[in-house]
Amino acid sequence: MEAPIPLKNILYMPRTSTTTEMNKTGSWRFLRPRYEEKTSPCSAACPAGEDIARIEMLITQGAFKEAWETILLENPLPGVCGRVCYHPCEGKCNRREFDAAVAVHTMERFLADAAARNETKPALPRQPATGRKIAVIGSGPSGLSAAWFLNLLGYEAEVFEAMPAPGGMLRWGIPAYRLPEAVLNREINRIVDQGVSIKTGETVSAGRFEEMRKSYDAIFLGCGYWRDRHLNIPGEDGPGVEDGLSFLREIRSGVKRKVPGLAAVIGGGNTAIDVARSVIRQGGQAVIIYRRRRDDMPAFAEEVQSALEEGVELRELLAPVEITAVGPDCLLTLQPMQIAGRDRDGRGKIAPAAAPPIQITVQRVFTATGAEAAASWYNPTAGGAPETGVIFSHCRLHADGRGAPVVYGGDLTTADKNVTQAIASGKQAALALDIFFRHGADAIEERLAPCRVGNGPSLSLEIYIGGRRKERNAHIVTYGEINTDYFQYEARIVQPRLLIEERHASFDEIELKISAHTAMREAGRCFNCGICNACDNCYLFCPDVSILRARDMTDRRINYDYCKGCGLCVVECPRNAMTLDEEETS
Amino acid sequence: MKKVLEGSHAVAEAVRLAKVQVISAYPITPQTHIVEILSDYVTTGKMDAKFLRVESEHSCLAALIGAQSTGVRSFTATSSQGLALMHELLHWASGARLPIVMAEVNRALAPGWNIWSDQTDSLAQRDTGWMQLYCEDAQEVLDTTILAYRLAERVNLPAMVVLDAFFLSHTYEPVDIPSPEDVDRFLPPYVPAFILDTAHPCSLSPLVTPNAYLEMRYDIATAMEDALEAFVAVDGEFADIFGRRYGAVEEIAGSDADTIFVTSGTVTSTARMAVEELRARGEKVGALKIKLFRPFPVEAVRRALAKAKKVIVVDRNFSFGASGIFAQEVRAALCNLPGHPPVFGYIAGLGGRDITTKMLLDIYFEVKRSDMPVQDSIWVGLQEVNRAT
Repeated sequence: MEAPIPLKNILYMPRTSTTTEMNKTGSWRFLRPRYEEKTSPCSAACPAGEDIARIEMLITQGAFKEAWETILLENPLPGVCGRVCYHPCEGKCNRREFDAAVAVHTMERFLADAAARNETKPALPRQPATGRKIAVIGSGPSGLSAAWFLNLLGYEAEVFEAMPAPGGMLRWGIPAYRLPEAVLNREINRIVDQGVSIKTGETVSAGRFEEMRKSYDAIFLGCGYWRDRHLNIPGEDGPGVEDGLSFLREIRSGVKRKVPGLAAVIGGGNTAIDVARSVIRQGGQAVIIYRRRRDDMPAFAEEVQSALEEGVELRELLAPVEITAVGPDCLLTLQPMQIAGRDRDGRGKIAPAAAPPIQITVQRVFTATGAEAAASWYNPTAGGAPETGVIFSHCRLHADGRGAPVVYGGDLTTADKNVTQAIASGKQAALALDIFFRHGADAIEERLAPCRVGNGPSLSLEIYIGGRRKERNAHIVTYGEINTDYFQYEARIVQPRLLIEERHASFDEIELKISAHTAMREAGRCFNCGICNACDNCYLFCPDVSILRARDMTDRRINYDYCKGCGLCVVECPRNAMTLDEEETS
Repeated sequence: MKKVLEGSHAVAEAVRLAKVQVISAYPITPQTHIVEILSDYVTTGKMDAKFLRVESEHSCLAALIGAQSTGVRSFTATSSQGLALMHELLHWASGARLPIVMAEVNRALAPGWNIWSDQTDSLAQRDTGWMQLYCEDAQEVLDTTILAYRLAERVNLPAMVVLDAFFLSHTYEPVDIPSPEDVDRFLPPYVPAFILDTAHPCSLSPLVTPNAYLEMRYDIATAMEDALEAFVAVDGEFADIFGRRYGAVEEIAGSDADTIFVTSGTVTSTARMAVEELRARGEKVGALKIKLFRPFPVEAVRRALAKAKKVIVVDRNFSFGASGIFAQEVRAALCNLPGHPPVFGYIAGLGGRDITTKMLLDIYFEVKRSDMPVQDSIWVGLQEVNRAT
């Protein structure tokens, strides 16, 4: 103990030992601040509803495992999505208006890679076992997602896959330079470790399907679109014409085949791009023939850009009218098209131009103009399907009482056919089934609604099972609500990539790894819209010492006995994690 | 040990020697060099003190009031607009009887935006209950800063050490830096009159009713009076140890003077030269340097000026609607003295304009030709300016 300071007692200085705590200044208040987390625009834009603002915050803190688990609660495939998702989250990132969007997809991939490198096992909350068994047909992204979430909800999920290895389109449709096989295997192994059983080489016929409706409590049908759509032009079944999806599957099966010369790829979707870029890697040249314009292509813009960088040629506004075999070559007859107004989906509407058809000679033709279900009974609207279906944004439930209920999902029901929408579909199906078993079909819509992230349609498992995220206001934080005084301009991370020359030689992954340090810095750019990252601005600015912090600094509360309602805390909160209401007058 | 020091650094050396424990300041030219070097001392461990960075001079003084209330020695430095911003808390510091010491570098107030020397900033704070000590050279700056702590802590009032912008703050002069041992002998550790102590929580200066406020003010008035005597004592102790004595006022060649210049700050050095030159010409002239402005040494001023026939006050400051501020104080000191000499007020050098020896000679001969001042203030060296622009 310090020696008492000697005082010279000569001064009259009024003082009081009465505590000022007697003066409960809270009675002066007519505005009431409170902690209220809100919804980040990225999380609402994410089809899987990932809690991105929180994930970035955890990365900033170096809590990589927790960040990874936060993803896994909403998306079983971060290693896949960090690579192939079209990241709509970044398109809605508030930081775009400040400098550039946070590289959310790069962060997601980093977390998955870090978990793999460290052989991390996730610790996720699993609901008590229900004793119910669900068959999942198809091990693509929707099936894996449905099985994952059903498992977390306490169901026994059995996946049936016709192919010799699981993954569906992830394994057979997406080239390795975008999604290496090892990454996919890791993700699937983790799903199996979680308790999902996957049976490969098990084709489910219509007859077996009906049998399954008796032996399982429910069936999820997510067998995808595997059959190439026809061009319906003369010569498309002739020599030199191949279907693009089969070509991709062949490469992923390990068949090494050179495709020298020029290949025409007909289509404007991601498959067309994948085929063209695979041709380049198999020693050929590729020209994409598309009947609309580049801006109208359903393919992800970044993929189109990469294809062009690698030497793929794009010819727009040309519709194939005939393919003729000329010796070993194909003569492609193309009708020039023109834009005539707008389609219902906002894309340019096309009509044949007055110009005469043109012809080009290529060594082969790949069709990639879209796919459809391989068997007609897969479709929820197929003739035999009962009319008792309940339609949701990403799946469709049929429960006619003639057997176990069936949920159709994935490409069979989603408007946009891509991996992340398929994952969203599997999740919606799992939640819908859980509600179905507990409360009946009529309760599903009503009980799904509060689980929406922002305005939906993305759903959150964490909200469904009553986690902390449930407390969040669905309000989506806008840029105007961010106090940008607390942020500095900082360049977005540039992910290292393989050189063009290296890409021509192999199917090696193009995007390279980043360091933990780089990831933490990039995550630090995140505004963490709507969530508290414990920056303590509220605590520092409160003139009434009315912000009470828990001993471990995790929790903050307001001492309303003394809070005068000045609102400083709310104004100085950089990320709109607080709300100021008018005090109710008694 | 003698060193060539900038005036600002002379202040900093004194603060280091005074073992100040808490420093806070907000940068403002021409003061910044002082706290710049102090922050360096604190960071490099040359001083065992806390340096509080703040967002304004207002917060700076508020922080020091809090710090000093816990029983530590504190320091700040400011100028002009910064001092004006502290105004509210200047009253608080003196009312709370906290012996905070501040270096105040005289700088003109805006507008026009001007960083040069002018005393109006500090003199405008004359009613805030702070002692004010004006300095003539860098040695005096160092000595006065050390002395100010001794004086302030003795009477429990805050003190300003005032120095001219650039003429002092940025000019290098040889300065004798005293040894730490000698300074320790002169300036014992701070013994507060009361402290804020978390072991015995209380709040100081709560609501005070009309029953006690008058007495609190009277106490401050008494302390200011005591400070006059205390200054003489402390100045003597300083002289005993360091061999330099300044006095509340200094009479320069004045025992037989008919006409006496009254000056403060660096203008005094110019007055010394003018007096020397005029004496050489046979003029019976002297000068009176006023060092202690608050409390105003009325008796010493009277003694020094009583026998003169004419008094010339050169003010580098102005109180609009009245006159030069030193002139006002000198008039007030003399007015009850029967047959006191007339006081000629001159205003010169505002906003850092040079006050030259020739200027003082011209003033002298003008006064010599006049029996009585024709006006309270004569502005020296006014030039034509283009008022149309």
